[in-house]
Amino acid sequence: MKLNQLVDRTNVTISNREDEKKSENLEQKYLRRILISGIISLLLILIIAYTLPYTVLSLSALLEYSTIVALVIFLFILLIRYFTILVMAYLYINEYTFLKDNDFSPFVSIIVPVFNEGKIIKQSILSLLNLDYNNYEIIIVNDGSSDDTKQIAESLVGYQQGKNNQIKISLINQTNMGKARALNAGIYYSKADFILCMDGDSQLAPESLRAAIRHFKDPKIGAVAGNVKVLNRKKFYTDLQALEYIEGLNMARSAQSYLKLVNIIPGPIGLFRRKAIEQAGFYSSDTYAEDADLTLKLLAKDWKIYYEPKSISYTEAPVTLQQLLKQRYRWTRGILQSLKKHKKLLFNPTVNFGHTFILWAMSYEALIWPTMNIAANAFFIFAAIFFGFSQLLFFWWAGLAILDLVTALYSIAVEKEEFRLIWYAIIYRMFFILIIDICKTMSTIEEFLGIRMTWGKLERGNSMDSKKLVIKTNQV
Amino acid sequence: MELIPILSTIILVATICTFILAIGAYILYKVREGRQQLVYQTKPNSVKAEVVSPVENPLNQYERSEEHKQGRHVEPGISREINVQERRPSQSRYTPEPRGYKYSNEKVSKEKSKVEQRLSDENKFLKYTSDGYISPKEDRNSGAVKWR
Repeated sequence: MKLNQLVDRTNVTISNREDEKKSENLEQKYLRRILISGIISLLLILIIAYTLPYTVLSLSALLEYSTIVALVIFLFILLIRYFTILVMAYLYINEYTFLKDNDFSPFVSIIVPVFNEGKIIKQSILSLLNLDYNNYEIIIVNDGSSDDTKQIAESLVGYQQGKNNQIKISLINQTNMGKARALNAGIYYSKADFILCMDGDSQLAPESLRAAIRHFKDPKIGAVAGNVKVLNRKKFYTDLQALEYIEGLNMARSAQSYLKLVNIIPGPIGLFRRKAIEQAGFYSSDTYAEDADLTLKLLAKDWKIYYEPKSISYTEAPVTLQQLLKQRYRWTRGILQSLKKHKKLLFNPTVNFGHTFILWAMSYEALIWPTMNIAANAFFIFAAIFFGFSQLLFFWWAGLAILDLVTALYSIAVEKEEFRLIWYAIIYRMFFILIIDICKTMSTIEEFLGIRMTWGKLERGNSMDSKKLVIKTNQV
Repeated sequence: MELIPILSTIILVATICTFILAIGAYILYKVREGRQQLVYQTKPNSVKAEVVSPVENPLNQYERSEEHKQGRHVEPGISREINVQERRPSQSRYTPEPRGYKYSNEKVSKEKSKVEQRLSDENKFLKYTSDGYISPKEDRNSGAVKWR
């Protein structure tokens, strides 16, 4: 890698293209919401108290029956969801296996937004220079970093030796405006018709770009979602997340891809058609999940989104429980904010049925699923402590653990992943997912109450130097 | 003692512990977050930024400027203000230019006019005769080309 080449410095003004929301009194809005929901709850309790004497049920019997009915419904939905995802993911893999390769290779701009990524930016750029594709450039957007990111990024600017040819690296230095605006700045500056957006802390596998770009030969495809994998493994929480990414996220994405309706293009790797981004109105900074928001906007404009399992992005996952909760808190609130932005289409399937379907599926995953999981576990604990039915909890766990083991086995086999991760499936549902679901539920309540939040930043370790990394970076 | 009751007890204790751990960790997270001072930014209509891009070699520059003239690419969100070319690193830090090489604008413009002359409409359809290449205009004047 040649450092400190000749550079051009240009001062530019980047316009803010986001649609600004009309100012509204948020405190009044949330207060009104709390009051209305309180009144509705009170009304329901009064109706139950008034009508209960006219039925054959006592209050305790009502609670027991309602809980059992809710559990049966939960179990039913859980099984339907699992098998639907498995079948659709299988159909997708079948379709994908026979997908023909093509020579579509347009010019692509890779946008790398960075904020205090001094420790790892060089590794990320090296992984990009190692891509098995010829026609691309790299645009680093430094979002007002306070560490040495700017200096390191400036030293990388120039024509660097890629795998097959010289790759242009440019840098945009802007004041700290958030990830969405950093990505927008890069997109505005880019002149390419196809744009790859990634995270500054991620590293791409060599065939990522080549594998994803071929899908754009179909003019209906607006974006391609990549495959995110955990880089810093061999730790308890990161291994659990590695399994979650494979079993929970990628398998669901495969199933959605069969319908070409992927609901979240992950931040660490997403390839977009420029026209689609422009139609959708670029990234928005009014949610904390700008990737989910943009995906929903693309689906609303009737663009198809495909999933490419070979487009792999290795990313650093939270190592401690605190960091994990911080990340999931942000994801949940971001997804809820994005859903709120599209609530009009939620109740109107005539406009775009696929989009409405995805909105309902996301609402179910974000709101109903975690609540039901917590309620089921709380019920079994209650039944075990107060009625001595501790075996119920065991059978519940055993059923879920077998289901998770089978799914993990399938997903790991499909992705040719590490088999040692399968054993985490035993504690995956009862431990990991329960913690995540509690965090999701709390975040949902906070979002409902309108409690303010900050973005938060994952503290970096030095795992990017990891020897386990599959990407070979020869240029130094 | 049977196996299932033992496992049931283990699962029960583990689930209760998970509940306590999750809620405890969440409260701790909120307490830590609460300590951080919140700074709210107002959103400006435009953002000042600095673009650092590599200096391109003169021939590349010529090709790219032609591309821009064709109007294929536009930069809708960006307006350029000042362009300051900076030769940042000291001369010794990069490979010196080959001897005898001297970059001049004249060279580029000469090259440019040659290319333009070659690609002009008049020279596109030359006719080869025994006197060499002649333009269709001259040929038409000679009365050789007749349109039916």
